[in-house]
Amino acid sequence: MIKFQEVTKEFKGNVVLDKISMDIRDGELTVLIGPSGCGKTTTLKMINRLLPTSGGEIVIDDEPIESLDKVELRRRMGYVIQQGGLFPHMTIRQNIEIIEELENKPKEEIMQNTLDLMKMVDMDPDEFLDRYPPELSGGQQQRIGVIRALANDPEIILLDEPFSALDPITRSSLQDELVELHAKVGKTMIFVTHDMDEAIKIADRICIMKDGHILQFDTPEEILRNPADDFVASFVGLNRIWDSPEFIKVEDFMIKNPVTCTVDVAASKCITRMRDHHIDTLLVVDDDDRLLGIIGRKALFKTKNPLVQAEKIMYPVKFFAHPTDSIVDVLKMIEEEDISNVPVIDDDDRVVGLLTNSNLVSTLSKQFLTDETADEEVN
Amino acid sequence: MITLFNYMVAHASQIWSLTVEHIEMTAIAVGISILIGVPLGILISYVKKLDKPVIGAANVVQAIPSMALLGLGIPLLGIGVLPAIVMVIIYSLLPIIKNTYTGISGIDPQMVEAAYGIGLTKGQVLKKVKLPMALPIIMAGVRISAVTAVGLMTMAAFIGAGGLGYLVFSGIRTVNNYQILAGAIPACILALLVDFLMSLIEKLVTPISLQKQFGISKQALKKSRKREKIVLIVAGVLICTLIVTGIVGSIQKQQKTITIGSKDFTEQLILCNLYADVIEDQTDVNVIRKENLGGTQVCYEALKKGDIDMYVDYTGTLYCDLLGHNSVSNMSKVYNTCKSELSSKYNIALLKQCNFNNTYTLSTTKAIAKKYNLKSISDLKNYDSQLKLGCTLEFQNRGDCMPALKKLYNMNFKKVVGIDGSPRYTALKNNEVQVVDAFATDGMLMKYNLVVLKDTDHMFPPYYAVPCIRQSTLNKYPELQKAINSLSPYLTDKVMMKLNYEVDEEGKEPKDVAKEFLQSKGLI
Repeated sequence: MIKFQEVTKEFKGNVVLDKISMDIRDGELTVLIGPSGCGKTTTLKMINRLLPTSGGEIVIDDEPIESLDKVELRRRMGYVIQQGGLFPHMTIRQNIEIIEELENKPKEEIMQNTLDLMKMVDMDPDEFLDRYPPELSGGQQQRIGVIRALANDPEIILLDEPFSALDPITRSSLQDELVELHAKVGKTMIFVTHDMDEAIKIADRICIMKDGHILQFDTPEEILRNPADDFVASFVGLNRIWDSPEFIKVEDFMIKNPVTCTVDVAASKCITRMRDHHIDTLLVVDDDDRLLGIIGRKALFKTKNPLVQAEKIMYPVKFFAHPTDSIVDVLKMIEEEDISNVPVIDDDDRVVGLLTNSNLVSTLSKQFLTDETADEEVN
Repeated sequence: MITLFNYMVAHASQIWSLTVEHIEMTAIAVGISILIGVPLGILISYVKKLDKPVIGAANVVQAIPSMALLGLGIPLLGIGVLPAIVMVIIYSLLPIIKNTYTGISGIDPQMVEAAYGIGLTKGQVLKKVKLPMALPIIMAGVRISAVTAVGLMTMAAFIGAGGLGYLVFSGIRTVNNYQILAGAIPACILALLVDFLMSLIEKLVTPISLQKQFGISKQALKKSRKREKIVLIVAGVLICTLIVTGIVGSIQKQQKTITIGSKDFTEQLILCNLYADVIEDQTDVNVIRKENLGGTQVCYEALKKGDIDMYVDYTGTLYCDLLGHNSVSNMSKVYNTCKSELSSKYNIALLKQCNFNNTYTLSTTKAIAKKYNLKSISDLKNYDSQLKLGCTLEFQNRGDCMPALKKLYNMNFKKVVGIDGSPRYTALKNNEVQVVDAFATDGMLMKYNLVVLKDTDHMFPPYYAVPCIRQSTLNKYPELQKAINSLSPYLTDKVMMKLNYEVDEEGKEPKDVAKEFLQSKGLI
């Protein structure tokens, strides 16, 4: 675990980082993100002591990094920058093996390791190892940069905006590969970017920074759903969540505390209740709020006897949803089954909400409305 | 063209040995300036505060004329190979320091940070990243230095270090264009060759990835690299052998030798060879001949410092220039004063003076002498406003020459043109000047059939040639005195003028002229 304890950084009297504290967990891919000047790269470079701290302490596995030898510390970490930071005068092989060579590892071990790493990023060793970095495409260079960081089998890998100079398609596929790689090798990775899409795509946790402070340090889902403040919300983007619909849950849409009635309520009362609330569906529940059935408007109007009890005119519930179900699944169900109302019940079958066609439409349409206003502001 | 070719063939062995000398000295000088310049460049790229002072100093040093640097260096370093190499090192430093500095500072800082970031130490970053990436630029600097050094090394002859400059200098003195070309052409070829070899090195140290050429595959590039490597290895081995044999050779020369120097005009070369031959014949002392040293100052300082053991100077020069007396015309007074003062002040012994007085004279063509009715120096006064004087720089500055002329006769020439060496006779012939200074024994007087104006007022002091030798050398090899004194009486005005003529006009080598004379007199 990498622990930041009230770490401060000053440059010529300017406070760049102001007493930040955080725990970066082992094996997780943590993304540091924020607008330029927020201190994210500074934070990263303090981990491998490319920059000294001005105050506070960074501790890795209970050892303060100040107590460790600089070079040894860095060799325990991989470091990847734009274009991988490859040395143009060395072949790909020399680039990958440089630290292992300096550590005097056995030759065969190094060679085998290099072959394994090349396989890991799907690059043909025979084709690439004897070539020079400028002969490779940006994406290929970046892959080499990543496996060079892995070569010495470090515990931690630091990545400083490694993909920012790549075209969008290459970037996207490298992001996928990185996630896969991370799952495979299980290293602690710390990744700096200014691209929120990238962060959400690859991160286990995201640390949002601004002006030397950490605003929020949480999972992507939590940040999308519950931004800590207005800045985070606007930085994440109000509608960012629409780009990741799997994060949108039924509870974000449902009408909370829907209008219900018990089984013994008369039909006339039901109609009054609907009219008062401008709704066309009533959920019938028992005394414990457990769902028993639904009364629709049509069924109610067909009833000749105004005193007939709800129990008699309700129909049983075939489709319902759980508050944490993904909205994508529910929409699929609505479309397939051609239903207009989906009650939402919790683990104890208690009614907690209701999805109706009209509230789905109005909620979904909001993203377009706000997008337009956002655009106007930009223009 | 054919005569040039013949000359070069006839002197092939001399040209070759001078070329070898030239290569040795240049290689050593450039090698050392790399050893100094590259670390210095690295240093100032790390310690930024030093960059301006160091580069500034290198700039200033390079702005000093090379002749001046050599002259100033004599009291410190003496004459010969060492000061020549030091001078070339000083001039070679700037491009090497500058390019090393630029090369290293120009590396993308991100690249350097990446190198530190992945865990290289400071030394490893320098060795594995900074130096290899800066190497092409450093080599470009070395290339400039090396090519300049080849040219600059011709100046070495000025202080007796030999090299191809020797041919150029003596060629200029004796108006021997073939000799000049025999020195200049190999020097030029050498410079081009060095440039070519350096360009190969520059190419080889550039990472293959950074020198892609259109239409050439990587395989072809690798192949041509292999060929270039072979060429360089061969050249490297050759240069190393030259240097090693040179050093071994110079070590072998150590026993029982003395060095005789000479100034840079014909008579001095002949005198140097005459005395050297006599000494080598009559004693078992070997003589190293350092001919063509830059001038009185160079020889005198070298003698004081012990770089040479002996040279021949003239009494008037010793008396006025070196000892600072006012000129007088009493021959024996001059000799005796010089002898006692040099001995007591500098431990330099004057041996028996020669029988010729190579004093300054002013001379002119027969036609002009007739036109203006010139017989003695004083006659010049009547026409001084119409006449242009072509004279050596030394003549202009010596107290007993130009200033004395002004003092004694209030002489004001229409113009005074400073020309060194034989070209002033050419100027006289072309009527660009009408009067020149000349040495009384100059063979050119004979060649051009000139009129020597009589010094009726004894304006010029006596200039009898006299061997000056270090007392310590004389103590070590007392037999030298007898050998040297045996020769001096034979050298009269007439003899000297004839010997000079043979070299200057007939194009013989001073060495051969000396030998022939000694043999004809039965001295060897």
